[in-house]
Amino acid sequence: MSWTRRLFGPACVLSLLAAGPCASAAEITVFAAASLADALSEIGKSFESATGHHVVFNFGASSDLARQIRAGAPADVFFSADEAQMDIVTRAGLVRPAERVDVLSNTLVVVVPARTPRRLQAPSEIASFERLALADPQAVPAGVYAKSYLEKVGVWSRLADRIVPTLNVRGALAAVESENVPAAIVYRTDAATSSRVAVAFEVPRAAGPPIVYVMAPLAQASGPARLFADELASARATRVYQKYGFIVLTRT
Amino acid sequence: MIRLDFEAPLARFPLRIRADLGAPVTAVMGPSGAGKTSLLDAIAGLRGIASGRIAIDDDVLVDTAAGVRVPPQRRRVGYVPQDAGLFPHLSVRENVLFGARGATKEVAHAIEALEIGPLGGRYPGNLSGGEKQRVALARALATRPRLLLLDEPLAALDVPLRERIVPYLLRVRDEWATPMLYVTHNVGEARALAGEVLLLEGGRVEAQGAPLALLATPGLSREARAGIENLFEGVIVTHDAGGGVTRVRLAGGLVVSVSIAAERAVGSAVTVAIRAEDVLVATEPVRGLSARNVYEAVVRGIERGPGDAAVRCAVRPDLQEWLARLTPAAVAELGLVEGSRIWVAVKSHSVRLASAPPRREAKAAAPGTAAP
Amino acid sequence: MPTREEWAVVLFTLRVAALGTAMILPLGVAAAALLAGRHGPGRTLLDTVFSLPLVLPPTAVGVVLLDAFARASPLGRALAEAGIQIAFDWKGVVLATSVMSFPLLVRSALTAFEEVDPRLVGLARTLGCGPLEAFFRVTLPLAWRGVLAGSVLAFARALGEFGATVMLAGNIPGRTQTLALAIFHEAQIGHDERARVLAGVTVVLAFVTLWSAEVVGRARTRRAV
Repeated sequence: MSWTRRLFGPACVLSLLAAGPCASAAEITVFAAASLADALSEIGKSFESATGHHVVFNFGASSDLARQIRAGAPADVFFSADEAQMDIVTRAGLVRPAERVDVLSNTLVVVVPARTPRRLQAPSEIASFERLALADPQAVPAGVYAKSYLEKVGVWSRLADRIVPTLNVRGALAAVESENVPAAIVYRTDAATSSRVAVAFEVPRAAGPPIVYVMAPLAQASGPARLFADELASARATRVYQKYGFIVLTRT
Repeated sequence: MIRLDFEAPLARFPLRIRADLGAPVTAVMGPSGAGKTSLLDAIAGLRGIASGRIAIDDDVLVDTAAGVRVPPQRRRVGYVPQDAGLFPHLSVRENVLFGARGATKEVAHAIEALEIGPLGGRYPGNLSGGEKQRVALARALATRPRLLLLDEPLAALDVPLRERIVPYLLRVRDEWATPMLYVTHNVGEARALAGEVLLLEGGRVEAQGAPLALLATPGLSREARAGIENLFEGVIVTHDAGGGVTRVRLAGGLVVSVSIAAERAVGSAVTVAIRAEDVLVATEPVRGLSARNVYEAVVRGIERGPGDAAVRCAVRPDLQEWLARLTPAAVAELGLVEGSRIWVAVKSHSVRLASAPPRREAKAAAPGTAAP
Repeated sequence: MPTREEWAVVLFTLRVAALGTAMILPLGVAAAALLAGRHGPGRTLLDTVFSLPLVLPPTAVGVVLLDAFARASPLGRALAEAGIQIAFDWKGVVLATSVMSFPLLVRSALTAFEEVDPRLVGLARTLGCGPLEAFFRVTLPLAWRGVLAGSVLAFARALGEFGATVMLAGNIPGRTQTLALAIFHEAQIGHDERARVLAGVTVVLAFVTLWSAEVVGRARTRRAV
């Protein structure tokens, strides 16, 4: 039993004197794509004050999270930035296919340091950057999407040995914020969170690869966890996603 | 003239030295921990002083008041430590040449005088104790120092070896005219080499004076006193196998009898050693005594210490001075005073023969007299 | 068995570690020479500073290096103007691994220098050597085995460096990816078998280097008297 759970009983008694119900408050662990950090934290906080359950987030590259879940990490909900990673977890029998929900989409942008803004007239100009940071294009969804787009516009082969792969999409963003790399391809929603980058080019949704964020509770998830999974697909959550610039797919 | 007037902090007490040293060789003596090595280190510049002045003739090595502090490498002070301190990664030749920036004549002289030429390519690990000390001496001399510091250079050697090195030290003293400061526990060495003794105790100068005078000083331990020997140079004259004696003529002409030492060739040089406590003194001519060596002498002086007395006897015919160690009771009973006419007696068994190094001029070295 | 690309990673790792070790050798010897035989607060301070990378999390060191050499920093800008790229470049790998392995070299060299009988150094001084000359003619020749053992140890540490390297130089295949980074990368993308193969290579390398350090270090106790 974890340390926090051991204090749980006395804490419960104490907080009965305070406002709010306390009975059987659960801890819900959510593994989610790095680009969802801001939106999900907000949703999680509202959920906590409403229900008294405690939500713990593990944000990272969806590929890394999928690996952790397969290795036995104690996740209750998985919110992946692409289907491929959710497929991996499903194939391992840890998620029931019927319980998967396509929640969000997103678009890609090319960012440069805010100090030296520029606008690209055509995607071919992306090849002009000395180096380009991407979330690891071999596995991380943001990087996989970016690579697929660059291949589509015929720029990938020229750019391939100038790619700086990062651990996740926020790492690519940070590389440009610190000006260590002249440009990166990140989600539009990521670019919006940072004042230190400027958008140089927006990949039109139709031109870019289909981006789908899939969410599902893990097969062993408890009641409260499933409650949160439902919350993530709710109308309340939709408003938060839209605030942050995500394209919402769920019909509520 | 070495002028010392300084204070330096040590672990247990401060070193406070004020002395002017003018003799060619000054022995520095005193109990362990008295500060003897620290004194040498301060002069060499390996240890800093808190205040004061050290000078050799007109050259000031350090003067805290004037803000002068000559670094060790410019003091031209040679140092021979107790364990020779040879550089293990260099050969004998490289060790000797270490500080000798091109002064090849001096180097050759040192190598020849200390007879270490044949050792040239060997490494310190393959040398005997005596060889190491000679190399260390040569190494120090090769830099043409104006002062030599020796820190108990013979302490690590056994007694026979020790006295075989003493002649080398005498040779250095006589041929180099470089003043020496010689730390030792051994009064015999001090007597043989030094013109003056500086006695240290608790970091301070307890006494300074002629070696014999210090016998009266309470500072000397029993062991130090026990080591006093009379040393003489001599030549083997004849062997009397039947009588069991070998006769040795001393430098001044006196012939002493030693228990038979037939392995030494007639005509070979030897050092004769007689312990002060083995010398008997009589106030009347001696008759019917077994001792083979009985000689007439005159009392030159008597030094008294607690429970001990040393009588300086000028022995005929050449009036070379012998030291006899007697009890104060005996001195009183015999009524000995300066000028008393006495006879000294020594058994031939009490006379010890030690080797001298082969004379460089006469290369006829007998077996057993090879350099140590 | 490693693929051709993986052997290239091994070679890159060895070269970077060798270059880094060669670079810190004179620096480490100088640092150890500076500290040897001294006592007091100054020595303690310097000793502590030099030993920090040994104890700090490598990622912390990586953050510091990144800040110092990022394009946004004055140093970074100056280097960028000179056309020198440190972050996300092989030079960053050399820098990160060098910083992390520096303390090992300094400590080994320091121990070796302090094992040299100080009286021998003092004698060299009386024989006319200034402090620098005495160091080169007496201390260093007598301590060289300890310095060598320290270098091998530093090399071994550089081979395995991860945290500072990944932060300063990134994990760019073909450019900054060392063995340690490659293992992480392969595991991240689910290629567990490749990760195991590479890990096996690092075990062999580490074994060989540590064995050599042991042999060289042990030999130094058999000194001439």
